[in-house]
Amino acid sequence: MSEMTQNSPPPPALPGAVRRFLTSSRSTPVGMALIVIALIIIFGVLSPNGAFFRVSNLTTIVLNASVTMLLAVGVTMILAAGELDLSIGANVVLSSVVAAKTLVALSGSYDEVRIGEYPHLVPALVAAILAGIATGAAFGAVNGLLVTRLRINSFIVTLGTLGIGTGLAYVITNGTNVPFVPRVIQTEFGIQKLFGVVPYPTIIVLTLSFILWYVLRVTRFGLHTLAIGSSREAAERAGIRSARHIFKLFVLVGALAGVAAALDLARFATTNIGGHQTTALAAIAAVVIGGTSLFGGRATIAGSMVASLIPVVLGTGLVILGVPSFYQLIVVGVILIIAVYIDQQRRDKLN
Amino acid sequence: MGVEQPDAAPRKSEFVIEATDIVKRYGHVQALGGASLQVRPGEVLALVGDNGAGKSTLAKIICGAVVPDSGTLAFWGEPTTVTSIRHAQELGVETVYQDLALAPDLTVAENMFLGREPINPGWFGGHPARLDRRHMRAKAEEALRGIGISTLTSVDRTVRDLSGGQRQAIAVARAVMWAKAAIIMDEPTAALGTRQTGIVYDSIRSAATRGLAVIVISHDIPKMLSLADRIAIMRQGRTISNTEARQMTLTDVVTIMLGGKATEAA
Repeated sequence: MSEMTQNSPPPPALPGAVRRFLTSSRSTPVGMALIVIALIIIFGVLSPNGAFFRVSNLTTIVLNASVTMLLAVGVTMILAAGELDLSIGANVVLSSVVAAKTLVALSGSYDEVRIGEYPHLVPALVAAILAGIATGAAFGAVNGLLVTRLRINSFIVTLGTLGIGTGLAYVITNGTNVPFVPRVIQTEFGIQKLFGVVPYPTIIVLTLSFILWYVLRVTRFGLHTLAIGSSREAAERAGIRSARHIFKLFVLVGALAGVAAALDLARFATTNIGGHQTTALAAIAAVVIGGTSLFGGRATIAGSMVASLIPVVLGTGLVILGVPSFYQLIVVGVILIIAVYIDQQRRDKLN
Repeated sequence: MGVEQPDAAPRKSEFVIEATDIVKRYGHVQALGGASLQVRPGEVLALVGDNGAGKSTLAKIICGAVVPDSGTLAFWGEPTTVTSIRHAQELGVETVYQDLALAPDLTVAENMFLGREPINPGWFGGHPARLDRRHMRAKAEEALRGIGISTLTSVDRTVRDLSGGQRQAIAVARAVMWAKAAIIMDEPTAALGTRQTGIVYDSIRSAATRGLAVIVISHDIPKMLSLADRIAIMRQGRTISNTEARQMTLTDVVTIMLGGKATEAA
């Protein structure tokens, strides 16, 4: 039985503690949180009159990050199973267009909404939210069917539907944003804060993120997700129906994009059909930076949530310091490459 | 843990598994042309033969991964059409695959329960299905101890962090933990060193002692002669000999395997 001890992995080389920290998956969310806190302190100290530290600034950062955070959490679930979804940005645009069209069409007659009267606002709002989420879920279902039935690589499928979704949004709207979206959804919800501190959209994002963290960590569904990402063969032989499971994950991510669409619409009181072109990539970058493996099998919702703050903190901080925010793109790009490198090292070392 | 004999069903046969005249073709290639095999509870049956003799195909048919073209497969004398791996598992048959079929990013305990996780009761009729991790850990530790693996530091370690021997031991422990009737092992020691191989052989013996039937596919004929109770020899898709191991010598086995006269065939 002594072979068990003899065959345990050799002790890590030279800078032991540092290396262990970098290669342990559990430490990534903590490491990311430390980086975010460090950035906040640096920007806070450097900013004029500590402007960066102001509660209003910090809540704005959280609000600005919330849609990316929600999508990052969704991408974490799908990456955990070893699949990719590049189409979530297009999904957000298409779903928000459908939600906006539904909202405007149902909340009053054309003549009423044109002058800012919305007699049926509440039922129209409910219908719009449901329509947005349903559109997102249907979009995800199409992705899921193409990936699992036609067995096309999810990278290619979602690259294709990214174009299709964006195109459909343009077709529906004729290339212009949906007019007459009631501003009240923004003033009463999109930029409102609970107790004047926590933005309402952020509360929704945090709640959904917590639920998905629970699903991934505690439930059978979460374990099967990670098993499929770790070894689809092993999962299949254990009796897990991986195709069906992956389909469900695509529907889930799609539905989350639908929620993100509703939040986005409320936040800006307008659709954003030219926007969200880099949203999917930003979310995927946050997920990988946060410690989720690009190869599946290892995932951390908390890491994705914290890492999705980094671009916004950097962007805001640089603006407050008077540095062009373009540097944010460069810094995030560098962090992404470093994160993937660490992920690869981790894998190579342990194989 | 341990072997629960099939409860209510009265046994119609002394054999846990009995395969008769199994035929399997892949296109024009005939993998099996009337293979037969019987194994009793508590017996280690070595399945030997040259490459391409049909050993793996026969094993895959018994474990439910492949459906035969014709022939009968009986469990405790009850003819059964095994439709899937899951179906074979329900009949009490577990398989240790050559590539082990472990998910490297999951822990030892998670791997041992994958697909058959214990779920916490309560809430909305068991929804959401929350894993009973405490039960998983305790049972996994017990199963590993049961086959003599007590030095694995924790069942919370991921399989990726383990050595080849440890992984093999986990695959074997998982099969022993779930098997109620038989275990099939396809080349269980092919990738292992001498000492690790010894552990696997010990665990095969201990599984048989618990009353399980064990079918081992192996090229290590000298070892099979000392480990197994019976040796089944396959050639060109047929079982041409099924004899008690102690009545055989290495020369006998090799001669029969390579096409000599199957004098001792039973």
